[in-house]
Amino acid sequence: MSHVDEGTLHAYLDGELSPPERATVEAHLAECASCRATLAEERALLERASALLGAARPVERPAPPFEQLRRESKRSPWRVRRSIAWAASIVLAVGLGYSLRGSAREESPEAADKFALYDRRDAAAEQNQAARSAARRPAPAADEAARQREASGVVATVAPTPTADARADSPATAEAMHLDAVVVTNRAAANAGAAAPAPQVRSTLTEWPIITRSAARSLLGTDPVGLPGLATRRIRRSPGTDRTVIVEQAVDSATVIQIIQRPTSANLFDSSARGGYAFGEAERQRTDRLARFVGRLRVEIKGPVSLDSLNRLLEQVAPLP
Amino acid sequence: MPDDIAEVYRSTYGALVRFLYRKVWDQGRAEDLAQEAFARALVHRPENTRGWLFVVAANMARDEARRAAREKRHLTLLKSEPDAVHSSPEDEIDAETRTRHVRAALDELTPRDREALLLWDAGMSYDEIATQTGLARGAIGTTLARARRRLVEAYDAREGGQHVARG
Repeated sequence: MSHVDEGTLHAYLDGELSPPERATVEAHLAECASCRATLAEERALLERASALLGAARPVERPAPPFEQLRRESKRSPWRVRRSIAWAASIVLAVGLGYSLRGSAREESPEAADKFALYDRRDAAAEQNQAARSAARRPAPAADEAARQREASGVVATVAPTPTADARADSPATAEAMHLDAVVVTNRAAANAGAAAPAPQVRSTLTEWPIITRSAARSLLGTDPVGLPGLATRRIRRSPGTDRTVIVEQAVDSATVIQIIQRPTSANLFDSSARGGYAFGEAERQRTDRLARFVGRLRVEIKGPVSLDSLNRLLEQVAPLP
Repeated sequence: MPDDIAEVYRSTYGALVRFLYRKVWDQGRAEDLAQEAFARALVHRPENTRGWLFVVAANMARDEARRAAREKRHLTLLKSEPDAVHSSPEDEIDAETRTRHVRAALDELTPRDREALLLWDAGMSYDEIATQTGLARGAIGTTLARARRRLVEAYDAREGGQHVARG
């Protein structure tokens, strides 16, 4: 054979040649002084390079206990496989509060098998995803039910579960959930009930009709804005004359974000009109409601997630495609 | 079946920290990133945990490097530091200086050569390096040969008083 090239020599020295290749190389080396000399040089080079890299190595410190790592991974936003990182962070924010409440129970250090816990959590995350995609499909029966309730004056934005039956033919629930509280549903509602004061019921928001996208467009004079990539659950308009529109979007099956918007041309302080939306209240009252301008719209955002998450969501708001 | 991550953790953590250290040049940061990579592996449960970890680690280190580059800290520091040690014999050069020179020498490699070398040093096989870098398996030997040669030459150029890093 011809001389052995340096790449093959390095593979040979690295022990990465297949047995037949190795045999061939060794047969040649046995006969070729030139290649043996080259091999010696390459070996010296290789050892030198290894030594240099070895000189630039970190101090060997013991790995932290694996258990600690598992605990940390629960806090990682990567728990939820979402291409949209910010959405994942929202889900995390919601899920974290949930899991923290459950953690006292689930996370005793003696828990025999924490992997089992992970499996359950993963399963829960997958269920959430399934629910999310299911939620993107229209649920006509449920919407119809909602409309009927609205017609009867009981507003009720119902639990955004993907199935209609869960939306409860439970009048008590429906009555308790005014639009303002729509965001607090399902497990979020359970959390809120357990840990936070009940959401303020605001009578001004109880009669907001559901409208179509194009109706929203003509009210606003421009495309309604929302969070790209999230399913729009419904769009509502102010019962007043203030041209306020609310886009409701689902972050996951139990978390709805409201994006409240109004043309800047409308008088911001004209919300005294019956049922109008009091813009600017964010600054005055509620820290969980943030505002910005998007194009020609003034936009506020609300939802049962952390202030930080809302802020991040608000940054993402753009005209809906 | 996904690998047993706990087992991979025990066998690979050190190598992953080393791999990351040669990219971010900060021990604490390298450890943080390694732990983060394992934490993500716990969530994703990749089929090939080890390979996956190095891919994720490389990505994290790259993001880290971009951030660092934006902040323009390390490079500026590195370049402004005088090579005051050219008269010292190698065994008198303190470890910190040597590390700095190795780092600078590594920086002179092409990204692909450097990646192959660091992966090899982290204990990866040629097959794994090929998968990781997209190089043909048959090209790994040549790549490593070139990377090693350049590393040694670039380092010796520094030690030998030819201050190529000043340029």
